[in-house]
Amino acid sequence: MLRIFHNTKYEFVKHWRLAAGLTIAFIVLGLVTFGITGGVKYSIDFTGGTLMQVQFKQAPDVAIVRSTLDKAGITGSEIQQYGTATEYTIRARDEKQVEAQDAGAEGISKLISAALEQQFGAGNVMVVRTEAVGPKVGSELRAGAFTAMLIASLFTLMYLAIRFDWRFGAAAVFSTAHDILLTLAFIKMFNVEVSLTVVAAILTLLGYSANDTIIIFDRVREDLKKRAKGESLAHVLDRAINETLPRSVMTHATVLASTLALLFLAGEIIRPFALVMTFGVFVATFSSIYVAGPFLIWIESKYPRTTSDSTSRAVNAGTDAAAGKGARKVERVVAR
Amino acid sequence: MANLKYRILLIVGLFAASVWALFPRTVVERVKRDGVFVYDTVRRVPLKRGLDLQGGMHLTLEVDESKQAVANKSEALDRALKVVRQRIDEFGVSEPVVQKAGNERLIVELPGIDDAERAQDVVQKSAFLEFQITDKTQAFEKVMPRFDEIAKNAGLSTASEAKASGDTTKKVGVTSLLTQKSDSSKDSTGKAVATTGADSATTTPAAVVGGLFSTNVQPGQIPGQYIVPEASYAAIERALSLPATQDAMPPGKVMRWGVDSLVSGTQRFFALYVLDSRPIITGEVLTDARPSTDPVEGNVVQFTLNNEGARRFKTETGKHVKDNMAIVLDQRVVTAPVLNSAIGRNGQITLGGGTLQAAQDLALVLRAGALPVPLKVAEVRSIGASLGADSINKGALALAVAFLLIVVIMIGYYRFAGMLAVAALLLYLVYTLAVLAGFHAVLTLPGLAGFVLSIGIAVDANVLIFERIREELDHGKSNRLAIDEGFRHAMSAIIDTSATTILSGMVLYQYGTGPVRGFAVTLIAGLVASLFTSIFVSKTFFMIWLSRTRGNQTLSI
Repeated sequence: MLRIFHNTKYEFVKHWRLAAGLTIAFIVLGLVTFGITGGVKYSIDFTGGTLMQVQFKQAPDVAIVRSTLDKAGITGSEIQQYGTATEYTIRARDEKQVEAQDAGAEGISKLISAALEQQFGAGNVMVVRTEAVGPKVGSELRAGAFTAMLIASLFTLMYLAIRFDWRFGAAAVFSTAHDILLTLAFIKMFNVEVSLTVVAAILTLLGYSANDTIIIFDRVREDLKKRAKGESLAHVLDRAINETLPRSVMTHATVLASTLALLFLAGEIIRPFALVMTFGVFVATFSSIYVAGPFLIWIESKYPRTTSDSTSRAVNAGTDAAAGKGARKVERVVAR
Repeated sequence: MANLKYRILLIVGLFAASVWALFPRTVVERVKRDGVFVYDTVRRVPLKRGLDLQGGMHLTLEVDESKQAVANKSEALDRALKVVRQRIDEFGVSEPVVQKAGNERLIVELPGIDDAERAQDVVQKSAFLEFQITDKTQAFEKVMPRFDEIAKNAGLSTASEAKASGDTTKKVGVTSLLTQKSDSSKDSTGKAVATTGADSATTTPAAVVGGLFSTNVQPGQIPGQYIVPEASYAAIERALSLPATQDAMPPGKVMRWGVDSLVSGTQRFFALYVLDSRPIITGEVLTDARPSTDPVEGNVVQFTLNNEGARRFKTETGKHVKDNMAIVLDQRVVTAPVLNSAIGRNGQITLGGGTLQAAQDLALVLRAGALPVPLKVAEVRSIGASLGADSINKGALALAVAFLLIVVIMIGYYRFAGMLAVAALLLYLVYTLAVLAGFHAVLTLPGLAGFVLSIGIAVDANVLIFERIREELDHGKSNRLAIDEGFRHAMSAIIDTSATTILSGMVLYQYGTGPVRGFAVTLIAGLVASLFTSIFVSKTFFMIWLSRTRGNQTLSI
């Protein structure tokens, strides 16, 4: 049989300083760009405004597009090439324009399409996508996304708390939070536009990242009962990580196959989603190895468990029970 | 063995049900042929595509309270919903959605619409129709000095330099405009009125020097009609909306703008009408409205009134023969023809230069009735059909490539067991799509992305199980025992995987809208299906393999 990373004995935990350094550096870099260029770029879903995707017959001169819009009173719009040379997106979301949309969200888009048609001729320019969001809807979507993030985090937290004893739970939460933070830093640094779909990607990552940590911690818990006398927790952790390494690599590969296919083949609209997912999947694997483990050791060193600790009893009881279901029932009792 | 038989039966049964659920079926639906909607039978896979995949328009409408507060919004919206639904049904859209969202909003989804502006107009038009007699008592001239004063006090006046330079051209403009109009008009009375109008335009000098109204407003072609040059349109409109002006309005009269602007040379003009404030009848008494083309008048809308309306219309128009009656739609004068005799049950609205399509749309909204409250657009998203089709193609390509890559990875690494996993994955694809079809879920572009993503995540369960089986085999366990142990140990992790992700998916569904909801639905459907295929189906495959191998054949995993 073909095997990769079989029976490896890498000492992952030992390198926690390097891992922590890398992670912190990344977050600091994110914060620095945040400090320099301000908050993340929100899509018009959240800011309100107008987005139009326009297809020209021939590649237009962007300067002419801009001057046409300026003349129509749509100043300060962002004009970007989108995919091919003949396709552009126009974003109009000046405060003034967003406010004007309160009277009717379609107003600005009508002005834009009329101005472009007049400049380029009706047959030479085609609007293929319009998204116009009034200021009220925008702020509601923003609030909705925020609530969704909060509630999803809360649910995940509760799930982990029920699933593990508090030490494991805290480490898993820490690693999941780390993933989200890093993903946000990535979004900031690469100036990914935060739209509803990107929020969906972040929430999906929340679940994925928690799950990645759970799988390794499951193994840690199992290995803890086989722990030889005097074996350090770090050693047990390394063993568990090594044992699950083939799975980590394989799953990473298949999920990456999906996200990369989306990134390169599924078109411009879905690209921000795919980009965030690709990065997030990578980070989730990284953190389940380098963040969750060391953090668990840190907690254990602060609040060491005694041999008569209820948790270790739970571990033993859990493994004695035949099926996984029975095991969880026992843990739940203990967790309370 | 009986156990295995039932397992296979369940899998095959579910597969058959899924295929049936996904089998292309013949449905009657409204489809577009050469630009017109016709009912037709089409065969298609019963998977509903979202607006972002098939093209169309999503509108979020809310009550427009900028002019007038609305007391019971929820109830008004209910009535508006009925009107909007009727209009859309007549407009001809395949599978439209019109629904109330909360107590404040209406959501309208129109798949397959390619003229978004026109569709939106049909949905949003208030369509409040009034018939009002134009003023012939020169009431406006009487209050003009007072209006000028109010405008002056409010600091509203057209820039004097513009007036000085443009004064002569303006006058000429108006005169030529009026003669031009009467030339093209086939109506002899119209011509007569036009000449007097032109006369008064030249003979009445500005009464109050610098007055906003007296300098800019010229009497028009017919009694009660006035012409305002474009330059002073905004100022006059603002002046007219002042409370003081409203108070000073001639008793029993209202002022309304015309629908279209008139062009003469390089100048554009707007028509302002003074009308009797009491309408003869309103659109409520209309029973029917049809578009038609009149050889003389061009495109018109012919309407029919109910008994009561016809009676009232006849008496009132009888009293006003030779007067002009303005047809006012949403507080704008569409036309103001002369009444040559009393009109009974049937009448028509001349659209001037309007297209036949405009006549069709007007007839449609008049038939469906007026909106009880004005609506404004809070959000609009429209996607062209070609972009939607493009998204489907690209999404399908991504799906195929992701699937192939995963097949290569799984079979390349796990060999025989990998093939079992791929077979389970194929079943997974069918089951997931069937669940989506069964629940009438809408497949959106993010949903398609979620589907692609979920196949990558779905094999994770198989990976977990296979790795565990390998370990158990390493420990020298028999095939049967290793497989049993592998599944059992991997189980809890697999359930966790699904649980955490399904939790996120549910939150997304709760707080997401449209496309994002589609994503949440596919993600959840996918995970539930993957629980079944990775645990139950894969296990069954292994059981089949075990039952067919004798002795110590090595498991290719």
